[in-house]
Amino acid sequence: MDDLTLTGLAAAIADRKLSAVEATAGCLDRIARLDGRLRAFITLDAEGALARARALDADLAAGRRRGPLHGVPLAYKDLCHVRGLPTSCGTKTAEYFTSEIECTAVARLTAAGAVTLGKLNMTELALGPFGDNPHHGNVDNPWKPGHVAGGSSSGSGAAVAAGLAYGALGSDTGGSIRLPAACCGIVGIKPTYGRVSRAGVMPLSWSLDHLGPMTRTVRDAALMLEIVAGHDPHDATSSPRPVDALVAGLERGPAGLRVALPDNYYFDGVTPEVRTAVETAAGVLASRGARVQILRLPDPALLNDVANILARSESATIHARVARERPHELGAAVRSRLEVGFHISAHDYLQAGRLRARLAREFVAEVFAETDAVLAPAIPEPPPALDAVTAGPVDEIVRRMGRFSRLTRPFNVLGLPVVALPCGIGADGRPLGVQIVGRPFDESTILRLAHAYEEATDWHTRRP
Amino acid sequence: MSQSDLTSRRQVQGDVAALAGAIERAAGDLTIAEEPSNFAVVLEAGAPRG
Repeated sequence: MDDLTLTGLAAAIADRKLSAVEATAGCLDRIARLDGRLRAFITLDAEGALARARALDADLAAGRRRGPLHGVPLAYKDLCHVRGLPTSCGTKTAEYFTSEIECTAVARLTAAGAVTLGKLNMTELALGPFGDNPHHGNVDNPWKPGHVAGGSSSGSGAAVAAGLAYGALGSDTGGSIRLPAACCGIVGIKPTYGRVSRAGVMPLSWSLDHLGPMTRTVRDAALMLEIVAGHDPHDATSSPRPVDALVAGLERGPAGLRVALPDNYYFDGVTPEVRTAVETAAGVLASRGARVQILRLPDPALLNDVANILARSESATIHARVARERPHELGAAVRSRLEVGFHISAHDYLQAGRLRARLAREFVAEVFAETDAVLAPAIPEPPPALDAVTAGPVDEIVRRMGRFSRLTRPFNVLGLPVVALPCGIGADGRPLGVQIVGRPFDESTILRLAHAYEEATDWHTRRP
Repeated sequence: MSQSDLTSRRQVQGDVAALAGAIERAAGDLTIAEEPSNFAVVLEAGAPRG
């Protein structure tokens, strides 16, 4: 059962080869055995999960299948408001975030039959790419103890990689789905801005936040995304555009698709094994019929400046109360990053918003005239030792954070869909990750490419 | 105010000034018609047709 994917488990339950109770108990057993080291969960709802699983088994016995996730145990980053469970957002305060409505994405997964195991650990306030947390413990990398699990959806990455849950939700403001996916050797999708509702989710930056699935395979991610995507009247930024048939589109293969490897920025300063793994991934897609080319992308330096202005202004505004009234409760690096936001002028904030519109227009017009997708590293190096990246003065730690997330952050400003997936394991056993970027609302094409890559390789079948 | 508070304040002021400078240089040739909400228009217009 531990080796089943989300899709495989859903089929096994539908075929009565396994029960929802057996699947849930299996996850709870692994959590009991492994989470002492991993620290992936903040809140575990074992009793609630088993009660829900029993009810779902009874439903199935009576001929009622709730949906494609009937009986599948999932867990959610602890910034999703789930009825009956606290939402700490990785802070010291157990119920830091409250909402009148339940997280829309969680509600849709539940309606599709999912079992909620609990709430997953994360970087405090989702501010940081390493997965450390002073209140709930540092999430450990399932592949390499003492190493970064990636953040801020660190618990989501570790839980899925270690088989504590069959899938998870993460959020991504500058890479927080893709970084832990890459560090933990799993799949994570940051959908197009507006594709998945953020209602019922703690905001960090209204302009840059995205919610998305984290799973062991591309097919699992496509299934979860198909369920959570689509218009939601509770989120003003939610797009009314219909959702493509993402799972059905996976088998169309990459033949004829144009894929670009950037010749600027995205390979600067990456380790040789990361470069080789990504270039090899491009070769795999070429061998399956994709037309791979080298392409110069618009300079991302300005995108990073825009990201910093928007993210820091908005996060300081959203979290002003804790930052000003209880700053001692926050970690030093989080406090430092919020502080900058209080000093950015309205003029600069609005100019950054205007620049974002122009930069996105130019990128979409120039890049997607030449290619259907861009392939780039998700992380510049294999997950580093946590002690090394969190040591030293705060300003140095903040600079390291910026360097580690420099490959993912530009695509939050652009709002484009990106899937991260494993593309290798380094010499000492640490995962390597690649990201595939597509046109706005074209999740179908990047998932199709990712699935073709997965079919030709076996990285997604490896377990920590 | 302690020495470390002063250093920290200078660091924040330096970070903000650097960000503001970069944005101001790039924003110089923005058209009057450009506005932040055009971003959503760009995404919808850039989606695959049908």
